[in-house]
Amino acid sequence: MARKFTLKKFLRYALIACGAVFLVFAGWVIYLDRVVTKQFEGRRWSLPAQVYAQPLELYAGQQLPADALEQELRRLGYQKSDTPTRPGSYRRRGLRIDFVAREFRFVDELRPAQAVSVLTGGAGIERMWDGKGSELPVFRLDPMVIGSIFPIHGEDRLIVAPDEVPAVLPAALKVVEDRKFDTHWGVNPWAIARAMWVNLRAGQIEQGGSTLTQQLVKSYFLDNRRTFGRKIEEAIMAVLLEVHFEKADLMNAYINEIHLGQEGNRAIHGFGLASQFYFGKPLDELELQEIATLVTIARGPSYYDPRRRADRVKARRNFVLDLLAQFDVISDADARSAKNKPLNIRSQSSFGSNYYPAFMDLVRRTLRRDYREEDLTESGLKIFSTLDPRVQSQAEQAITTELTALDKRTKRRDAQLEGVMVVTTPQNGETIAVVGGRRVSFDGYNRALDAKRSIGSLVKPIIFLAAMESGRYNSSTIVEDGPLEVKLENGTVWKPQNISKEFYGPVPLVRVLAQSLNLASARVGLDVGLPKVAKAFTQLGLEKEPPPYPSVLLGSLDIAPIEVAQMYNSLANGGFRTPLRAVRAVVDDKGAPLKSFQLEITPVADPVAVYQVNRMMQTVMENGSGRFVRSRMPKEMVVAGKTGTSSDYRDTWFAGFSGEHLAVVWVGYDDDKPTGLTGANGALAVWSRFFGSLETRPWSEPVPDGLVELTVDFASGEAAPVGCTPEVVMVAVPQGTQIAPHMACGTGFSDRMVDWLRGIIH
Amino acid sequence: MKPFFPLCLVAVLTYGLTGCVAPKPFEPTPAPQPGDPTATSPTQSATPPEVAAPPEPLPPPKPRTLSPATKALVTQAQSQMAAGNDALAASTLERALRIEPNNPLIWIEMAKLRQEEGNAAQAENLAKKALAMSTGDPRAQANAWRVMADTYRARGRNPEARDADARAEALSNTSTPSPAPIP
Repeated sequence: MARKFTLKKFLRYALIACGAVFLVFAGWVIYLDRVVTKQFEGRRWSLPAQVYAQPLELYAGQQLPADALEQELRRLGYQKSDTPTRPGSYRRRGLRIDFVAREFRFVDELRPAQAVSVLTGGAGIERMWDGKGSELPVFRLDPMVIGSIFPIHGEDRLIVAPDEVPAVLPAALKVVEDRKFDTHWGVNPWAIARAMWVNLRAGQIEQGGSTLTQQLVKSYFLDNRRTFGRKIEEAIMAVLLEVHFEKADLMNAYINEIHLGQEGNRAIHGFGLASQFYFGKPLDELELQEIATLVTIARGPSYYDPRRRADRVKARRNFVLDLLAQFDVISDADARSAKNKPLNIRSQSSFGSNYYPAFMDLVRRTLRRDYREEDLTESGLKIFSTLDPRVQSQAEQAITTELTALDKRTKRRDAQLEGVMVVTTPQNGETIAVVGGRRVSFDGYNRALDAKRSIGSLVKPIIFLAAMESGRYNSSTIVEDGPLEVKLENGTVWKPQNISKEFYGPVPLVRVLAQSLNLASARVGLDVGLPKVAKAFTQLGLEKEPPPYPSVLLGSLDIAPIEVAQMYNSLANGGFRTPLRAVRAVVDDKGAPLKSFQLEITPVADPVAVYQVNRMMQTVMENGSGRFVRSRMPKEMVVAGKTGTSSDYRDTWFAGFSGEHLAVVWVGYDDDKPTGLTGANGALAVWSRFFGSLETRPWSEPVPDGLVELTVDFASGEAAPVGCTPEVVMVAVPQGTQIAPHMACGTGFSDRMVDWLRGIIH
Repeated sequence: MKPFFPLCLVAVLTYGLTGCVAPKPFEPTPAPQPGDPTATSPTQSATPPEVAAPPEPLPPPKPRTLSPATKALVTQAQSQMAAGNDALAASTLERALRIEPNNPLIWIEMAKLRQEEGNAAQAENLAKKALAMSTGDPRAQANAWRVMADTYRARGRNPEARDADARAEALSNTSTPSPAPIP
């Protein structure tokens, strides 16, 4: 009785237990079902914002030789072809290049794919015409993607629509990963068993047992833990997905979801981004063997890393191609020819988020003012930046080459010099290149934006601007470069010195700037007044007004290179301030404009004063501290600039511009120790290498009304014709300025000079 | 203006001329006929051979014209503006400016666009920028002053507007022959 009761009781409990388990299981399945449908239905991958470089404008008369154009097309992933008919292909015949530009949605238009022919001559582009033979006055190439703003957890992807996927890709995925994909219910027990057998025999992973659906589930819903429970969960979710969704949807999701590579903390997801990441072109332009390579990588992105395991990847790729031929996805002939092609993986350095870290940092900071972090990392924004990839690589080249050379000239062996460059186009205030350190693709300390360092003599043009604006000085004004002492409020005495520790006596302003004489310029600054000098900084675009200390006159003022660029940009722009821009526009994932950063200019300084300062900065390059690099630049290239050296040679600067570009360079040590270099032999070396490689236009501003240009003796500032004294320089001075003639230049000359000046004054 | 003074100085030194009148700001060069972008200004008198050449003679300022590329873009911007799409017009004009940043004609168009948008302050700034670049080109200067006058009028600054108009008028009279419209 007792036994019977026990059995009955046991059965009852067992039934209850089973029921409970079933209920829990059912509840779990229902829960999973909700997870699957909810998340997958509104399937929205977080789409990192994509950042584009500025597009290259092509036009007749542009200084772009055929080689440079071809290089540009290759950089954009255009493929050489004998018959360029597909978008993204080109043909080069001597000086002529024919290409088919890809469709691209610019901010202002959807530009369809278009055939373009370019005929170049020795100087650059001579003619351009479209596929129908009509003349094209101007044409812009599709811009390069320079990176994306992906979230902290690091998933980066580029979504592709089904019509952007080459038909071979899904077919290949099925053949290689899941041959029963079209018919199974999410799991394939037979495949699991077979895979186990095959792998056991081969001793390595030849086949996976998971269906594509299971792989999708694993990647989409689950984390990486591999437990038996996970496997069950994965299988159930796969079945649920199959119940709810079409095969085509699942395939498309797989193509966009799957992990295909890693670059630092950036995870490459989806075939769309992988295509760019490994081949530098869109998915629909991939060739057969390239698709097979991606299918190979999908098997295991670190095991099959084509950049590190090329042989392994190639062997597997060829195996994939054979499989494709075996299952009649492709012909035997196609497989044979594809197997003979190299992997052709583009080097990592030419693509990726780490490629322009300093510039990307600037872009991110610009956008953080207007957008939340999630907007940038999730909503698929497209960001049109101002980066000029050609100029950027020239800037990087200059930094790395020259710093290596400069390191050899310094005594220090325990640390390397660091360097920064910021390049702008002054007229529109676009920041077109930023190098934040000599390890140019290192995404770390961004010196260009964050290293606030003492600017030394870069302060002098700003003092002189204030002096010119006071109306009491001009380029030929004679100033005393002699001992100077200022009693400060705190009782100490400020006693500046020249770098040479010498005194130069009475010297014209033009020479003070050219030879960077500290005493004379400090005297000018004191005379003009510290508040006025301090104001000149903010006038030119410095956000925070410097304190009115005399030491500011020698440049003991810590400013970041980008801020120096902003101030000098206003000088190079003729006294018009334009806020520096790194972003032109932001559009949403459909291409609708959200925000544009438009050109804005404000006149901030008297053009007459600015012109005189700029003219003197030209003399810096011809006769002053910048003259050493003259030989590095084409003779007709007129540039203006200023060296800067902080105390004890800790920082060396150069800021200089042509008619079209401004570059600010800083060179020094991160620990702020002396370099032993001056602006002239440190930063200027980098600057001049860069400008020597740059396609730019000479500085030539029209002389503003009210100024005349005339020649003076460089040493004394006295009026002198060319050839009369050893060094004669051109200065711009206000009309009516009286300049004493130089004694050596003959009485006849001086008399007539005086007459002539009277004529001006009349 | 740049080359006039050194040449003038050279002439003074060589021949002892007394009447070299330097302050005259510039000799306006005839505007080229529309469609003739190659027209050049008249040549200067030659430098006497025995005197060293002045440093870096720069070419004399010429009346500005648009290159075919910027002309196409400015035309496009004008039709975008006419269709009421100012944002597109601005981005097209910025393209033109990137190609020819020193051409005052494009800055004038930009100023007109901002004026059209009702941003008179920015329009004035842009016109000033255009003016700074038009030294030696009375036609461009006159156009810049006209836009400037409009920006003043829009803000009720009538005396300044009248002054700007008068300057534009005076400059138009110096420019020969009849000013061609901005393409």
